[in-house]
Amino acid sequence: MLKESLISEFQKIVGKDNVLTSPEALKAYSYDGTTSWIHEPDVVVFPTSTDEVSRIMKLANAEKIPVTPRGGGTNVSGGSVPWHGGIVMVMTKFNQILKIDKENLTATVEPGVVLQDLTLRLAKEGLFFPPDPQSFLGATMGGIISENAGGPAGVKYGVTKQYILGVEVVLPSGEVIHLGGRTLKNVVGYDLLHIFISSEGTLGVITKAELKLNPLPQARKTLCVVYDDVSVAGEGVFRVLENGVIPCKIEMVDNWVINRIEEMMPIGLPKDADACLFFEVDGIPEVVEKEAQKIAEITKQYGAKEARIAPNMDEANKYWLARRAGFAAVFGKAKQVFAEDVTVPRGNIPKFVKKIRELAKKYDVEIVVLGHAGDGNLHPAVLTDPANKEHYERALKAVDEIIESAAVEFGGVLSGEHGIGLEKQKFMRKVTEPAVINMMKGIKALIDPNNIMNPGKIWE
Amino acid sequence: MKDLKELKKIEQFSDQCMKCGFCSFFCPVYQEEKMETSVARGKNYLVKQILAGKQEFTHEMADIIGKCLLCKRCAANCPAKTQIDRVVVAARAQLVKEKGLGAIKEFAFRKVMANRKAFGKYARLMQKFQWMMPTTEGKIKHLPDFVKGLGKRNFPSLAKTFLRDQIKPVYKPQNGEKPKMRVGFFMGCATDFVYPELGLKLIDFLTRHGVEVVVPEDQNCCGAAIYFSGDLETGRMLADLNIKAFKDLNVDYIVTACGTCSSTLKDYQKYLPDTEEQKERYTEFEKKIKDSTEFVIDILKIPPEDFKLRKEFEGKTVTWHDPCHLVRYQNIKDQPRAILKALKGIKYVEMPNADMCCGMGGSFSVYHYDLTKKIAGKKMDGIKATGADIVVTACPGCMINLIDNVLLNKMPQKVHHFLELVE
Repeated sequence: MLKESLISEFQKIVGKDNVLTSPEALKAYSYDGTTSWIHEPDVVVFPTSTDEVSRIMKLANAEKIPVTPRGGGTNVSGGSVPWHGGIVMVMTKFNQILKIDKENLTATVEPGVVLQDLTLRLAKEGLFFPPDPQSFLGATMGGIISENAGGPAGVKYGVTKQYILGVEVVLPSGEVIHLGGRTLKNVVGYDLLHIFISSEGTLGVITKAELKLNPLPQARKTLCVVYDDVSVAGEGVFRVLENGVIPCKIEMVDNWVINRIEEMMPIGLPKDADACLFFEVDGIPEVVEKEAQKIAEITKQYGAKEARIAPNMDEANKYWLARRAGFAAVFGKAKQVFAEDVTVPRGNIPKFVKKIRELAKKYDVEIVVLGHAGDGNLHPAVLTDPANKEHYERALKAVDEIIESAAVEFGGVLSGEHGIGLEKQKFMRKVTEPAVINMMKGIKALIDPNNIMNPGKIWE
Repeated sequence: MKDLKELKKIEQFSDQCMKCGFCSFFCPVYQEEKMETSVARGKNYLVKQILAGKQEFTHEMADIIGKCLLCKRCAANCPAKTQIDRVVVAARAQLVKEKGLGAIKEFAFRKVMANRKAFGKYARLMQKFQWMMPTTEGKIKHLPDFVKGLGKRNFPSLAKTFLRDQIKPVYKPQNGEKPKMRVGFFMGCATDFVYPELGLKLIDFLTRHGVEVVVPEDQNCCGAAIYFSGDLETGRMLADLNIKAFKDLNVDYIVTACGTCSSTLKDYQKYLPDTEEQKERYTEFEKKIKDSTEFVIDILKIPPEDFKLRKEFEGKTVTWHDPCHLVRYQNIKDQPRAILKALKGIKYVEMPNADMCCGMGGSFSVYHYDLTKKIAGKKMDGIKATGADIVVTACPGCMINLIDNVLLNKMPQKVHHFLELVE
């Protein structure tokens, strides 16, 4: 419980309606997009300006009260759960798009802007922000930057960190600093900007960001490529790139997912296929046409059974709707799903998917693959039920081994785009060199000596 | 352990939520308030807390559960297909069970709306005094709350003669031939008391197309405002009365000009049953219900050339507003557009966000009128963008709210039911 006087200080800063303390509100800010990480804050505040954030931080720092910044709360790592209570600082009302600069292809935004709202606004200007975390309907820019989010378009466009030119940050002390700038090139001293990107809210509060934009591609084309063997599909991914086409998305669904999608919404995916790859290419119409044909040729040359080029947008949309439905299909079929975020170098995808199949057999659990194959971020998901203790234990072991094999055997990482938060802490300790962890601790202690920013996360 | 019977019934739906938070993008209330307690994910989580014995029906909890338009936009877009509408209605029902309805709703639902004769009597009384209802805000202090809520706004006058007082029990096809179909006409409160001409218009349209129309006198309020507020008991009573009213009439279909009524009558089987017997009976009833828009297109199959525009609408540009109770509750979206596109002499323009709730939400707008105005404001932006002269819809509830907000925003558009446009 916080002191009454402190609550009234917050009310003075942001207004009465922007400070919540009712048990109901505290419960509603105790979770994020994960299943099991839940902890209530002591108070919820909604700032709407940098100054308000700064004044709140000063108070919190003086009283050593934890502060957990939060946007749409769509993250899937436990990152925005206030693990040590204190203040949840919700940025959803701090949400203006301040500027869209067509000449420089940049936009200036406040942290609470929802990605989809930004996308719709930018489309009117013929522009887009390429990183596309699939939580775009709820995810806010502050969170997207703090988690360094990525999505299917990572194959061609990369992830959030490649599209942030600068940020304004309020430090735990309340001091406001500006990192990076508005230019594409910037080598003025240490690259501190990129320490804040993906810091998961443990260093400061992002209050403004300068985004790098791209012109909106004029045309898109989608392919659905069918395989009899999931490993061959895995190979198809890098063969396409190696042979000169960089699609903007390459997504994989395996046999189990295909069949669940067809049960939910029959769209004519081949139910007997071991896996399908969905490709999307974007760009100038003539080029896109040619690239699609080339992908069909290459994939068939490397063992695909069939390559369907969607003749129109309707069919293309159907495939992408199916891909999105896959996510719900998996979660709808099990009481608990460990949706892993491991990522391997593309060349190792065939070996890695084979390994996943072996592990499913070894532990006798359902492990399904539906992920961003294009960048090796495969999202293998282990289905289980906590009520069935014996099954749950086996599932946990399978998860451990998936992560171990991805990170060690196949030279990958344990999280590609979700971040560590609470969910991946135990694995992080396992696979990260102690010296590296110590360096992170040192940075944290330097910027946040009282450890008030989102404590309990990442390396802790 | 407390008896959480109503919530237990929907626990399976509540469990479907995987907390992805996508609902936030689609929720009109969240879009205004930007708070987790406004959105489906938050409400559902709190309901689960009640089920787990960790949360009580506090005043604030009641408020949170009340602050939902039941527009179903979240449910329609939910990747996990969580039927949050059922969760919200069940939570309200549980609340009513535990805490009662409150004096105002108790009086309005059970003493007035549930009894057609009494409702008529009170409506008539209001009609006599409506000349003194001020159009400025907050001046009617001596009236009950729900009337006060209505009085603050630009509210269409109650009709001089209610539909019930001018309607006949049977209407034969106008061509004098053997009817090709016999349908029951369900009036609904708004059509009865505010828009009687809509009812007459529908009957005229149907009889002109060879349909015999019967109008049972014993029909009642559909019960939408009542059971969506959690008063399932009165809802069931009304369901039973309405089913009884149409039971022995030997009709092929039951048709209404009100989108909310048609969806409410269809959904008795979804929200109300307490027993298997009720479930069966309500499901049987559902099969006969048709909204006027779907009836003329899907059942009568009236060809495009047979829709004739009324003279006064020649040369106008029109746009369509999807009532929640048509587009999401009944998946009716193509039929009304087919009608409007068939009408020669008007230009049809699609509205951006045509399917977005107008902000009315039945009694929602009584308790949260400020939010209603904000949500309707976005609807108004969509209407403005079309440049249309006329906003067409098929729900008197939406019409009332759209008229209010068109006037509030000093816009030139007129609001009409599609029946008013056709000969």
